[in-house]
Amino acid sequence: MNAVMDPVEHYRALVDAATPLLPGAHLAWLVEQRERGLEHFLANGFPTRKQEAWRYTGLERVLEEAWLPQAEAVVNLAADDLSRLWLAPKAGARLVFVNGRWMPALSTPVDAVPAGVQLGGLREALEEEPDQLSAWLGGAAHIEASAFTALNSALLDDGAWLQIAADRRLPAPIEILYLSLGQDRAAIHPRNLLVLEEGAQATVIEHYASLDEAPSFTNAVTEVMVGDGARLEHTRLQDESPSARHMSSVFVRQAGDSAYHATHVSLGGVWSRSEYHNRLQCERANCEIDGLYVSGERRLADVHVAIEHAVPACSSRQRFKGIVLGSGRAVFDGLIRVQPDAQKTDAHLSNDNLLLSRDAEVDTKPQLEIYADDVKCSHGTTVGQLDPAQLFYLRSRGIGLGEARRMLCLGFATEVLDGCSVEGFADRVGERLRQHLEASPLIRVNEE
Amino acid sequence: MLKVTDLQVTVDNQPILKGLDLSVGAGEVHAIMGPNGSGKSSLAHVLAGREGYQVTGGEVCFDGQDLLALDVEERARRGLFLALQYPVELPGVSTMVFLRESLNAVRAQRGEPPLDAAAFIKLLREKARLVELNPELLKRAVNTGFSGGEKKRSEILQMALLEPKLAVLDETDSGLDIDALRIVADGVNALRSPQRSMILVTHYQRLLDYIEPDFVHVLAGGRIVRSGDKSLALELERRGYGWIAGEAAA
Repeated sequence: MNAVMDPVEHYRALVDAATPLLPGAHLAWLVEQRERGLEHFLANGFPTRKQEAWRYTGLERVLEEAWLPQAEAVVNLAADDLSRLWLAPKAGARLVFVNGRWMPALSTPVDAVPAGVQLGGLREALEEEPDQLSAWLGGAAHIEASAFTALNSALLDDGAWLQIAADRRLPAPIEILYLSLGQDRAAIHPRNLLVLEEGAQATVIEHYASLDEAPSFTNAVTEVMVGDGARLEHTRLQDESPSARHMSSVFVRQAGDSAYHATHVSLGGVWSRSEYHNRLQCERANCEIDGLYVSGERRLADVHVAIEHAVPACSSRQRFKGIVLGSGRAVFDGLIRVQPDAQKTDAHLSNDNLLLSRDAEVDTKPQLEIYADDVKCSHGTTVGQLDPAQLFYLRSRGIGLGEARRMLCLGFATEVLDGCSVEGFADRVGERLRQHLEASPLIRVNEE
Repeated sequence: MLKVTDLQVTVDNQPILKGLDLSVGAGEVHAIMGPNGSGKSSLAHVLAGREGYQVTGGEVCFDGQDLLALDVEERARRGLFLALQYPVELPGVSTMVFLRESLNAVRAQRGEPPLDAAAFIKLLREKARLVELNPELLKRAVNTGFSGGEKKRSEILQMALLEPKLAVLDETDSGLDIDALRIVADGVNALRSPQRSMILVTHYQRLLDYIEPDFVHVLAGGRIVRSGDKSLALELERRGYGWIAGEAAA
């Protein structure tokens, strides 16, 4: 343990050391963003539990270690080593990052990327074609969202850049893999930018994984712009090692008649928090976020979703399920905010949780903030255990208690995962979930 | 096959079964009738091992084993099958996975190798025809969105698949229209064999028009108060349960 006496000072020193090495130092707009990020971070520091959005989420697990930025990753990886990690065997293109750094050798070569698609590392793009980025980068993320977004902005360096030209409809998913490996206490701050121009359609997968058990701290920010009439299917899996700390913040801006559908899955890490900040800013946009989080022994899985209806006639849905094992903890905070002008809003939120032991705990907090009067909004949350009648039914067919419990948990998760259009994704996550369940001691609750 | 001796059961300290005796031989079909609240369904659930029933006395011997000493799943694997009055929906649990897992658990107990996917699907389709169950339903989650009749047919399909030694059918006729009842009864009749015993728990005689029992028992006040052949069922249909309860009290 390297107890960090003053975390803010630690990160200030890291930013100071990193700044001369960041790309695009000659770009005033970029430098300004970094400076604003640092200023906000220094002025506010890390959040404490006194702040409502952090009330159930302590930062001890993140701040206790002196995470360090990574030099160029030394990796002896071949594309074949990664094949078991692919979520979409038929991906149209792939992008691989190791400890936050784009690895062109492991990614789809530029000339093999489908026409009308820009796909590559942000760092290189900032050096070579910054004008293409200036219109978008920083346009969705707001630095004030949290210390983590501010810090990510102060260190804005590398990540995925994907831009899809107007009316391009990609039949196959684009898969982005973020690996942490080999370096103890690696701090990784990926910054991703996904832009779908007018009428474009795509499926994008973000997959965060570890190749070993070394502790790492990922602080990712993904900015998403969905243009007029564009449709994005956004599939995100956080499946890092049991020692990982993972923070990710997604910021989505949607134009008129656009559709954004996310399937979010948090499986790994000892501490993880995923935030979605979606803003519906033009009429008839639709936003749906489905998700699953799994927490276990001495772990925390936290999901925060905030959907803002700024204009009339948009629809949104949040549907999250949580499974908490052992002494695990989970947090779900879902907000629907309807601005005064946003009449005819149709917004719904549901959150169902399964606690599989007496020590498991979930804090669920649905929030409706409605300032318009002609809207349809609802929320519903449940916290429960496995149903004894369902368990009896399975056992009365010869299925053992442990397997019966696993089948019911997987069934519970399936209802969310089946909404994902990436072929095989539900099965893949189901397999990983099964491993978590098999590794967890099953304590009976209210079953006898 | 099954020998129940002086079985006493309580639920929340309330006596439900008060010294029940029942003997079912191989290949026999027994009907257990009785008024509401007489303990018919409790008997079915106690045999299957459902939680919430405390056995305070008596014995149950099933195929040479002490049934009450076995866990729910052990009973099922050794050939006891309970068709539920209200089959449970399992949202998100694939019917195919459920049935295959179940069948392979029972096969393992019998010392048989697990069926591979192709062999399983072939067998399943064959059995689904027996109960005229639309194979499309098998692609859904277990019992989810099934009609009442489809749920009952799905129970009989499971019974056909698992080939139990003893099947206990709890109010399988309840909620079925006449066509569905015929289909379910045809399925049950097709599964009658000299090795397979059945206990039909039912409130009405109607089911027995379709499935002819070898023995009929009347359960009242937690005990079997009268036993006979199928003519007893007809007499109950004509006279109701009152006269027997009166005789039993006398």
